[in-house]
Amino acid sequence: MLATVAQAIVNGLLIGGIYALVSIGVTLIFGVVKIVNFAQGEFVMIGMYISFFLATRFGIDPLASLAVSMPVLFVVGILLQHFLIRRVLALGDMPQIFLTFALSLLLINVALLLFTANYRTVQTPYTEMAIHLGPLYVAVGKLIAFVVAMVLSAVLWVFLHATDLGKAMRAAAQNRDVAMLMGINPDRVFCVAVGVALALAGAAGSLLMPFYPAYPLVGQVFVLMAFVAVVLGTLGNVTGALIASLMMGVAESLGIQFVGADSGLIVVFLMLLLTLAFRPSGLFGGWTR
Amino acid sequence: MAEALVVRNLSKRFGGLRAVQDLSFSVNENETVALIGPNGAGKTTSFNLITGYHRPDAGSVLAFGRELVGLRPYDICAHGLARTFQVARPFGKMTVLANVMTGAFLRDKKPEVARARAREAIDFVGLSAKEHVPARDLTTIDQRRLEMARALATEPRVLLLDEVMAGLNPAEIDQAVALVGKLSQRGLTIVIVEHVMRAIMAVARHIVVLDHGQKIAEGNPKEVVANADVIRAYLGTGYVHVATPGEGRC
Amino acid sequence: MLGLRRWRRPWLGVLAAIALMLPLVVSKPFAIDIFIRVLLFAFIGVAWNLMGGYAKQLSLGHAAYFGLGAYTSTILQIRFGISPWIGMFAGGMVAMAASLPIGAVCFRLRGPYFAISTIATAQVLMLLFLKFRDFAWGAEGTTLPNLGNAPLMMQFDAKAAYYYIALALLAIGLAITYRIERSRMGYYLMALGEDEDAAEAIGVNVLRIKRQVYLISAFLTALAGTFYVQYIYFIDPNTAFSFNVSVEAALVSIVGGIGTLWGPVVGTVLLEATSALLQSWLGSSHGGVQLTVYSLILIAVILWRPSGLLGVLTEAYGRIAYAGPSREREGPLDG
Repeated sequence: MLATVAQAIVNGLLIGGIYALVSIGVTLIFGVVKIVNFAQGEFVMIGMYISFFLATRFGIDPLASLAVSMPVLFVVGILLQHFLIRRVLALGDMPQIFLTFALSLLLINVALLLFTANYRTVQTPYTEMAIHLGPLYVAVGKLIAFVVAMVLSAVLWVFLHATDLGKAMRAAAQNRDVAMLMGINPDRVFCVAVGVALALAGAAGSLLMPFYPAYPLVGQVFVLMAFVAVVLGTLGNVTGALIASLMMGVAESLGIQFVGADSGLIVVFLMLLLTLAFRPSGLFGGWTR
Repeated sequence: MAEALVVRNLSKRFGGLRAVQDLSFSVNENETVALIGPNGAGKTTSFNLITGYHRPDAGSVLAFGRELVGLRPYDICAHGLARTFQVARPFGKMTVLANVMTGAFLRDKKPEVARARAREAIDFVGLSAKEHVPARDLTTIDQRRLEMARALATEPRVLLLDEVMAGLNPAEIDQAVALVGKLSQRGLTIVIVEHVMRAIMAVARHIVVLDHGQKIAEGNPKEVVANADVIRAYLGTGYVHVATPGEGRC
Repeated sequence: MLGLRRWRRPWLGVLAAIALMLPLVVSKPFAIDIFIRVLLFAFIGVAWNLMGGYAKQLSLGHAAYFGLGAYTSTILQIRFGISPWIGMFAGGMVAMAASLPIGAVCFRLRGPYFAISTIATAQVLMLLFLKFRDFAWGAEGTTLPNLGNAPLMMQFDAKAAYYYIALALLAIGLAITYRIERSRMGYYLMALGEDEDAAEAIGVNVLRIKRQVYLISAFLTALAGTFYVQYIYFIDPNTAFSFNVSVEAALVSIVGGIGTLWGPVVGTVLLEATSALLQSWLGSSHGGVQLTVYSLILIAVILWRPSGLLGVLTEAYGRIAYAGPSREREGPLDG
């Protein structure tokens, strides 16, 4: 029994790493640009398809394709911010929501047209491999994904706290006007923020490829988890998003193990409910209002 | 004379910042009191606490004997306390008339009645000609007028004005001062946060001075202006010297 | 230009006459089907618009109420033999009841997070109904027993009958919106849509108003759900709680004119016309084309005309009409 629980926890943590990459992206964009990117999941999808095509056409391992998916999505992020998001920043909530939402719809349906709804998978030498730690069974693909996710998160943390650009981003997140007075160019900072967020999404996609199928709607699952994690971890708080994602991964895994196979969404919703009921500003929020 | 507003030991921290510390003052009915202090002194935060936008950590606010702490802003408004915002917040899409009617609806559900009352308030502030202009198309000063009309339409007994004179030229200040005077004549109790000395001197009988969230002085205008602590708070220690009676600065 | 208001009424009369006579003039079932779709989705859009357009509470989970309406009337009909006319009303009540706890949770969030939580609620309901084999037929859903022409059970041989029901629903929705626009609630809804905090400062009980408009919106959407089942004789969780329904409900208002009376109607006509055109050009085999085009339209609208088509027209109208002296006007946009 304990072993089952431990196994569920381990599985949850591993997938939680992926959720973390997606949710950190969302919370970064929200914290800095103050806009919610409904399309974040679709960029994960794009990352997956990039890795898929590199693997099937050129035999490149998905992990190696990180070197392609991340930079490509970084550039996409910059373009997205500069050409689309920037134009709706002054317009208020509603246009912003619908812009990224429409983008999400667009990407999903274009993917449907280009790639059809078929599941695409990649087989790697380690897809079926697992390590045995005592009674625990750890899938190598997932373990690698988790480790890389944690490394990327750590790198991001260092970037945000130890580099000038990162600090500029945090400053702009906390107070855009004052940051501007300090000579920080908000557009540049926003472009980097969106670029980084999308690069993380792309990374998540590449990391998922060894053990998860790619299909147009794949992003939807992850984005919902990510959003709850962002709320749970407090909007704009990167560390919060990380911890919350891991927690949600575990909760979902325990739910699947002990309640039922498709209880994932219900678990998510329950966590959202509980958060809203007791700590609307998230686990790491200070004062509200 | 009844006490319109009694603030007792109001305190609020935001994380490490003690925005308001143990603030106490009272305002008599039909009095006009000015709340002044250097930037960051906690004036707008006090307004936010009084009108229910933040919950104070401690203290109480009584309006005509009724405790306001813990109530939502709309309840507080229903009890007769209205406020304007430092930066005007009009309902941009709606016309001037519609904006003010929204306030008037507090006292009566019927649109005709609300419309009539709104028109009175609009007339009072001098915006009648622009009744049907969408609020977002107004000039800044007209938006301030709108703020005031909207607040007036809720038929308050106590009106809290947050820096309504900011950025006005002297002629406009005079107009605004006249408006405040008229409000006082109608029996309103007014608390005004201001920086413009000239306006304060003209309208306020009583002044409360804040600095770093605390009340550092209180009294009539002459007393306050000569007060050493007040001078120190605004200008620094170098400017404090013993003032002889009659040597007032305005 | 000041006379614009006076000749609005005749226009309305003409429109109503056309609407009433349409199925008599155009009798091709294929065409009537399109009209019914337009009427139905305009109605759903109108229901959504009350909340999403006026009060700016952007729900992307209205399918929850659509589905609840659909399932309530179907369950009552098939398991208890109750007429869908009554079931429709019962569905509305169920939706209203559901909107209270859902609102209590979701209204704690603002803006995009509110939207997300509404998406989640619709998804959860879909999952629940996928699981409930016992009283709700699970994933396969069920078909309605074909009773031939049974008006009392809301089944008709003549397609035109469905057209008129849909028309009636739309008319009810528009009438309700019209009344609300001119009442205190309309002003409060717009005010809170513009600036919640400022609205609270002048006495608007924001939470109560949100709750009230949600009740109305949910009720109306549920009616549409019942109608839809009766029209297609089939229900299953994927159709009833379909995300596409939620999206279209919002889309038609945004494209047509968010927060205006006729916006949803204009938007539906435009989108459905586009959809029909696409189908005839490309055939229906390309699954993603319709939504691709919809999303491109949406992006275009947002980037260039965020207030939607009608919003543009209203603004233009406003600039022309208010050049004159003030007159007695009627709603929050006129005073």
